[in-house]
Amino acid sequence: MYVVANMNICQGHARCEDICPEIFSTDDNEGKVVIAQSEFPDDLLEKVRLAVRNCPEGALRIVKGGKA
Amino acid sequence: MIVDFDFFDIPRGMSDPAEIWHGLVRKGVPPIFYTPRNGGHWVFLKYIDIVEGYRDHQLFSNHQTPIPPIEPFPVMQPQGVDPPDHNVFRKLLAPMFTPLAVRRMTEGLQHRANTLIAGFADAGGCDFIEDYAAKFPTATFLDLFGLPEERLPEFIALANIFFRSTDSQVRAMNVTDIYEVLDEMFRAKLREPGHDIASAIVAARDEAGGRYPWQDILNCGFLLFVAGLDTVTNTMAYVWRYLATTPEARAHFRGRLDDPAAFQIAIEELMRISAVSNIYRRVMRDCVYKGIQFRRNDRVVLPNMVANRDPAIFDNPQAINLDRKVNNHLTFGVGPHRCMGSHLASGRS
Ligand code: SF4
Repeated sequence: MYVVANMNICQGHARCEDICPEIFSTDDNEGKVVIAQSEFPDDLLEKVRLAVRNCPEGALRIVKGGKA
Repeated sequence: MIVDFDFFDIPRGMSDPAEIWHGLVRKGVPPIFYTPRNGGHWVFLKYIDIVEGYRDHQLFSNHQTPIPPIEPFPVMQPQGVDPPDHNVFRKLLAPMFTPLAVRRMTEGLQHRANTLIAGFADAGGCDFIEDYAAKFPTATFLDLFGLPEERLPEFIALANIFFRSTDSQVRAMNVTDIYEVLDEMFRAKLREPGHDIASAIVAARDEAGGRYPWQDILNCGFLLFVAGLDTVTNTMAYVWRYLATTPEARAHFRGRLDDPAAFQIAIEELMRISAVSNIYRRVMRDCVYKGIQFRRNDRVVLPNMVANRDPAIFDNPQAINLDRKVNNHLTFGVGPHRCMGSHLASGRS
């Protein structure tokens, strides 16, 4: 499983970082999302899913299998 | 489609201002309606329409939006400017308000808060709004701008007129006074830069290495001065009233001091329920939108407090659930004008 971000939409709310800091952080420049590890381990699925659902911009997406 | 509705007319004693909007929803008024009050404007009542209104900045401009209309109105940088011009100052300010940057401010802000508390600690009590909530945002501004505590009364006086006066002459004078103070302050920062946001703003260079126009710098200072004042004061009042009267909520937060994710989830819920701002936009062209005829320059109100309690989006929206798992509240807006100070306001640290 992969998680990808649409950087044109991300506005740096940092909700993803709050919920799943293992995978998401925000950069020090524009405050936009930085994904540490696009292919994330299965045991983080719940947290990543929750982060995706809490992104107010709908900027995050989980992609099964290959990279989008 | 036309409803006689004055959103400045909040009945005394109404403890939850969101009720003025929910009363309308309960009455079954159309989800997009027009009121002739306050110069005339549209109101969107559904979360989904409000989000789309925020996103479509080409149709719904953030430039010259006041209700009732005030002209000319200072152009706040970057908030009062639409993309792409908006992006320039947004880019300049963004690094100063990232979660990381906010974490670095924590100590200074704690110090300012402690100073305010020390001012009434001996008295054993205070008027929460007057002695603390109304002063803290201005104290924060002084901290961000590297100004000494002694100037607090002067800035509070300016802020009070800005938000409370209804006399248009007094208001116009007040804006001039604020700009004068900002001008003097930015000039001082040019001569003697410090480690503060004002110094960073005057020192900034555009992509071609040039200085930003002085007027833009002043407008940017103006935005930073007024942006976090009343919203923060009012939100603090609701949040602290709730905490003061709800021991379980205090225990909830106390029990999560070691779990930042859960702590922040609870904060977001208080942000959802305590939304205070009603956002204004201005229609850019005559058009039929969602089956309704809009005219150029029509004003639109996007009330966050009704969006945040839309049952189509939130389960049991009127209840405070400090464990609410999915919470896409609009307290800080969405889209290109999302509140840049959100990390500072929600104390992400
Ligand atoms: S929550 Fe969404 S908009 Fe916010 S930083 Fe994460 S990806 Fe970006």
